Amino acid sequence: MDAKRNMAKEPQPSEGETKQMEGLGLESVIERAQGHDAEALGEIYRRYVRRVFGLCRYMLNSREGAEDATSEVFLKLQRSIESYDGSIPFPRWLLRVAGNQCIDALRRRQRGLKVFVEFEDGAAVIEAASSAPSPLGAVISTQERAQVRDTIARLPENYRVPLVLRYYGELSYDEIAQELGLERNYVAALIFRAKQELRRRLVHRSK
Amino acid sequence: MECYSEQTCALAVDGELAVDEALRLRDHLTTCRRCRELVDALRAENRVLSESLQELPEEAACPAGFSPPGWSWVWRDLALMAAVLALGSIISVWFDELSIPAALEWFNPFSPSGFTNLMFNLSYYFAHGGTAMLTEYAGVVGGLFLLSLLGGSALLLARRRRLPKPGLRLLMVLLMLALPSFALERRHGEFVTVSASETVDDTLLATGNTVRVEGVVNGDLLAFGRIVEVRGTVKGDLVTFAKRTVVSGTVEGRIYNFSQSLDLDGQLGHSIYGFAQSLRVNDGGHVGDGIVVAAGEVSLEGEVKRSVDILTSGNADVSGSIGRDLTMAGVSLTLTNTARVGGNLSARVHQAKEVHIADGATIAGKRDIQVQVRKSRFTRPRFYFHQAVWFAAAMLVGWLGLVLFPGFFRATTQAVGSGWLSLGLGVGVLAGVPVAMVVAAITLIGIPISLMLFAVYLAAIYLAKVWVGAFLGRILLKPSRATKGDWVLGLLVGLLILTIVGFIPYLGGLVRLGVVCLGLGAFAGQLYRASRPVMTA
Repeated sequence: MDAKRNMAKEPQPSEGETKQMEGLGLESVIERAQGHDAEALGEIYRRYVRRVFGLCRYMLNSREGAEDATSEVFLKLQRSIESYDGSIPFPRWLLRVAGNQCIDALRRRQRGLKVFVEFEDGAAVIEAASSAPSPLGAVISTQERAQVRDTIARLPENYRVPLVLRYYGELSYDEIAQELGLERNYVAALIFRAKQELRRRLVHRSK
Repeated sequence: MECYSEQTCALAVDGELAVDEALRLRDHLTTCRRCRELVDALRAENRVLSESLQELPEEAACPAGFSPPGWSWVWRDLALMAAVLALGSIISVWFDELSIPAALEWFNPFSPSGFTNLMFNLSYYFAHGGTAMLTEYAGVVGGLFLLSLLGGSALLLARRRRLPKPGLRLLMVLLMLALPSFALERRHGEFVTVSASETVDDTLLATGNTVRVEGVVNGDLLAFGRIVEVRGTVKGDLVTFAKRTVVSGTVEGRIYNFSQSLDLDGQLGHSIYGFAQSLRVNDGGHVGDGIVVAAGEVSLEGEVKRSVDILTSGNADVSGSIGRDLTMAGVSLTLTNTARVGGNLSARVHQAKEVHIADGATIAGKRDIQVQVRKSRFTRPRFYFHQAVWFAAAMLVGWLGLVLFPGFFRATTQAVGSGWLSLGLGVGVLAGVPVAMVVAAITLIGIPISLMLFAVYLAAIYLAKVWVGAFLGRILLKPSRATKGDWVLGLLVGLLILTIVGFIPYLGGLVRLGVVCLGLGAFAGQLYRASRPVMTA
């Protein structure tokens, strides 16, 4: 319900200034936003709210939670955007921020329990021979995609979160490891196992 | 050469393999069909994953799905509020069925008298200016809204599970809006009259310069006008907002008075509640129950069957008969020779010489006359208890606001930061909304809308200090994070400062008014921003 959210409502805002903003390159919008320009922050919101919301939605598995997290990300952006230094593409940076927000939310939800604990045999998992079904086929219909999404949503948190960060947030293993506070190897193992589990469930579902 | 494991291939496809190993794998792929197929399949799988995830779940897929955070949130929250009000009205029916002592009815926020009292307070405030009235008033309203918020938090559960569809919620709102318009006959004009031969079977809502009832109204009569006269019979209650109200006929129910002056010459079945500059029960007047009023001047010449409770800023003259107790607090009390009090007399005055009881006056019970020397309120422990309760209530309201509507609450708090803009807007809203309410009430559909507007207005006035307090706290504490705990702590600090500053003589009143304006402005601005895209669409 905050102002910035609403700027996103209109794909074609009627106000001249916002239109002007639309034409601006991302860099100048960010620069203006770093100077606390409300219009620019609004424009960033307009451009990225859906992506951020999507990430939060997948990670938190609750619409309500995702809405809260999204609004939190954009509220904080007013300050946090100052720390953006352009070393990585902005969307990726923003999704990392959102990822962090969600991980915080997940941790709060677990009331301090560690959400992502490393397996004792973490390294072993990586080299374990796979008896899981082979990778998913390339051709997949819209309906099946919904099924894939649904199955991902039902994966346990420690599989779902890295998987979403990787294939929705397009973060690298290193970035995910940093966000989750885990070893890179372990992230690789989690993603690998998540995909195997996903395949297993999808095969099971189609039977 | 030995084939690569699926794990290694997956890393490669994800672009996460070290460069030299990736090159080796590429070489291997040129010769090994099995591995090539595996890598292709993994690549396809990644594509499926990305594509599936990119198509967001339905609810978030279209801008209209998420964008409503702005507008649908407004609706959702309005609907929630409406639902709570609906719940409240159900409770109110239950409340009505409880037999509450007539004298206490006045405090019952669910009774028409309780509700209309609030209305009167407000009009009084705007007529006379000042902030003290507003705070008191906000106090009463706070209680009401605390109840609503508690109901709201119960509804939160339903909201988390996203049970009701937006359409259903909208329907609920519409139903809410429609309900009060049932059983209402409406008349409007310069001179509204129910002639002697006429009978109105419904509740009659009459607005006009002069409203005169000479015939019979079988329901309640709600009258707004300069002069309201009841010469005939009103079988239900009379609710009157007028410069002058005269009842020379019969009202079988109660009178809820918000007129400047009320004269009763005729028969009243039950009690009189309300506020008036001047209240007179004339010689021929008969009150079947009691009187609970706050008035400038009170004159009782007629007969009151039960107790009379008067809070007056002027004189209370009694020359008629009161069946039970007479309780008054005010400046002066006069009982003439013909006065008769069937129960106890208790009076709270500032000076003993202001109580004149003629020798011929009859008082059946005890006389309890207390002279209250005004002590500073700061010396009374009750004052601190009262403040503590209010403080706790404000904290609770703030906390519930944070939990129930986090986005809106925080955004509004931040909007307080726009300073002069919020302040100016707040002054406009504070003065403008009552006008808008009156204008809205002129149309039939407008009445419930104006009542809802009124409810939101009251809530916003109460919440103003919470928002400003939260903002102040955040400025002072500058928390680096924005967890609920930080917010609540900020709110605690901010409210504490506002409360203390509020007691500084002269300045305090100004600060309170400023806080109300700032908070109201921030709220209005936030609502406006939330609704703007829909309006321009």
